[in-house]
Amino acid sequence: MTALALALNKIEFSWSKQLTPLFAIDSLNLPQGKTLFIGGPSGCGKSSLLSLITGIQVAKQGTCCVLGVALNELSSSQRDRFRGERLGLIFQQFNLLPFLTVQENIELPSKLFSSRLSRSTQLFGSVQRHTDILCDALHLSHNLRQRQAHLLSVGEQQRVAAARALLGCPELIVADEPTSALDEENKVDFLNLLLTTAKAQNSSVVTVSHDMRIANQFDQQFLMPRTESNHVLA
Amino acid sequence: MFWLSLVFKSAWSRKYALSLVGLSVCLSVIVLLGVQQIRVDAKHSFSNALSGVDLVVGPRGSQTDLLLYSVFQLGTPTQNIPYADFQRIHQMDAVAWTIPIQLGDSFDGFPVMGTSVDFFKHYRSSGKPLVFQAGQAFQVPQNDSTSLLQVVVGAELAQTKKLKLNDEFALTHGYQAIAETTHTEHPFKLVGILKPTGTPIDRSVLISLEAFEALHMGWGFGLRPSAFDTKSELKSNLPSVEELQPNELTAVWVGLKNRTSVFSVRKAIESMKPTVASVPLMAVLPGVALDELWQIVKVVENALVLLGILVAVCSLLGVVSVLLVGLSARRKELAIYRSLGAGPALIFVVVTLESFLVCVVAIAAGVLGTQALIFVLQDFLLQGYGIQTRHGWPVYEAWVSIGLLLVCALVSSLLPAWRAYRMSLTDGLNPPN
Repeated sequence: MTALALALNKIEFSWSKQLTPLFAIDSLNLPQGKTLFIGGPSGCGKSSLLSLITGIQVAKQGTCCVLGVALNELSSSQRDRFRGERLGLIFQQFNLLPFLTVQENIELPSKLFSSRLSRSTQLFGSVQRHTDILCDALHLSHNLRQRQAHLLSVGEQQRVAAARALLGCPELIVADEPTSALDEENKVDFLNLLLTTAKAQNSSVVTVSHDMRIANQFDQQFLMPRTESNHVLA
Repeated sequence: MFWLSLVFKSAWSRKYALSLVGLSVCLSVIVLLGVQQIRVDAKHSFSNALSGVDLVVGPRGSQTDLLLYSVFQLGTPTQNIPYADFQRIHQMDAVAWTIPIQLGDSFDGFPVMGTSVDFFKHYRSSGKPLVFQAGQAFQVPQNDSTSLLQVVVGAELAQTKKLKLNDEFALTHGYQAIAETTHTEHPFKLVGILKPTGTPIDRSVLISLEAFEALHMGWGFGLRPSAFDTKSELKSNLPSVEELQPNELTAVWVGLKNRTSVFSVRKAIESMKPTVASVPLMAVLPGVALDELWQIVKVVENALVLLGILVAVCSLLGVVSVLLVGLSARRKELAIYRSLGAGPALIFVVVTLESFLVCVVAIAAGVLGTQALIFVLQDFLLQGYGIQTRHGWPVYEAWVSIGLLLVCALVSSLLPAWRAYRMSLTDGLNPPN
């Protein structure tokens, strides 16, 4: 049986003072190594769903299993640790700490969690070597790596953020609107680079976006339900 | 360690805003510690002025007044003690030495002190004997009658009046320099300039008791002899030294052979039977009288320290407000920390660490700044205000203040940290744009 990177079952989510749920998902599964696109218009709860998957929030009902771990059974600090050790996150923008260099930004996960450091070391010999491989794959030149993050273009920032998310080979990459700040040409390039590099590491990818044009690049697509309805597109 | 370095880099990226608030904290610490240091040093300077003196003897009355006018030349004595009593004290078995003090005249506002050469032998400032930067002590007039009108001045006075050896100048009867009260007929010759001591001696003119007496021969009611001379002839010939035995003294400083006898000597002095012309005496322990004096000035001292504390607290609040305002702009940074696995509690610690570090650096700079400032201004404070400052390791009171400031800094750091904690809870990975 294939291991699941993501398994949502009868999930209902609402904010603390909300009477009706923001969204309800009957079932959503993603096998390990596959990619998932979650689409939907603004305000439908896409980012809230990512909060559930990353363990920032906990569903009021149902189970949210990520990489085989039921997040609602973990304490808040355990979920934080789980997120740092086993997930890689990419945001729409403002992904990087502006006061660090590109190299320092990429190496952050390995500084924070020894498990990320040891995976890079085991699989690639060293963190530096893994960083070099990721930078080469994501077209980040050597000169760029010592540059302060705030001096980069948006496209460069997104690629650095992808490299950081992939360092230490987390089993799941979660991306929130990763292409919305990019122009059309860079959007496709970035997605290709991200998905190819993740596949090379056997990392699953969950991406949330309102841009349905990129949906067909993913193995699975999921449209956020409007309160009660939900359906898997493919 | 990683988070510490991250905090440092994050703070460094906002170095201009943080250095401004840090500067305000640093300056307020300098104000607070400077006030404390100068307060303590001023007290030391006062104590040093009587270093080695076991008893100050004067007419019975307020011991604070006696101390103020006889040692610090503040205020004016209302009564004198007979010279005979000085001799009786001098002859006591337990007494090692005595320094007679006669006050009342001035030189351009600087007090004139009549004393004996024993003053130069026994007086100690901070436990150290007097040292001359030029010249020497005046001679004993009995040994050399031509040396009667010799004068020694303190360092501050010499610098202010630009005096040098062998300069001649006239002293003033009392403290108001008008023609009728100036001893122009008997100018003094400067024979010695003392090194700074940080005591009122720096502002004093020192002459022999005989010279002091000679100046006042024939004077009455504060007026020169010519005022009583119908022929208006100036009596300019000085009497012989043998005729110049003083009748009265303002005070006597006493040094004992053994300090343990201080209370018995005090009792003996205060029990001395007054003669017809004399008044009952009072012997004051300088430390006790100084404590009384500190009680009087304590309100002002406390007001100054309170002012310093308020300035420091305002600056710390300034740091808090700047960090609070800055937090809104840092919500994305906090969200990135969250995405990397940092929990709200860790973010609380990180922000606390940051604001505490800013305060610690500013306080440390303030401590160093205070010492540097005192080092730079030590001559100015000594010459201008007679305060002998000590730079280097801060005084005990300063360490207490530094400790309290650090506690205040830590407490005030908790406010932006708590705000960051709440923000990271509500924002999660999605801070507002």
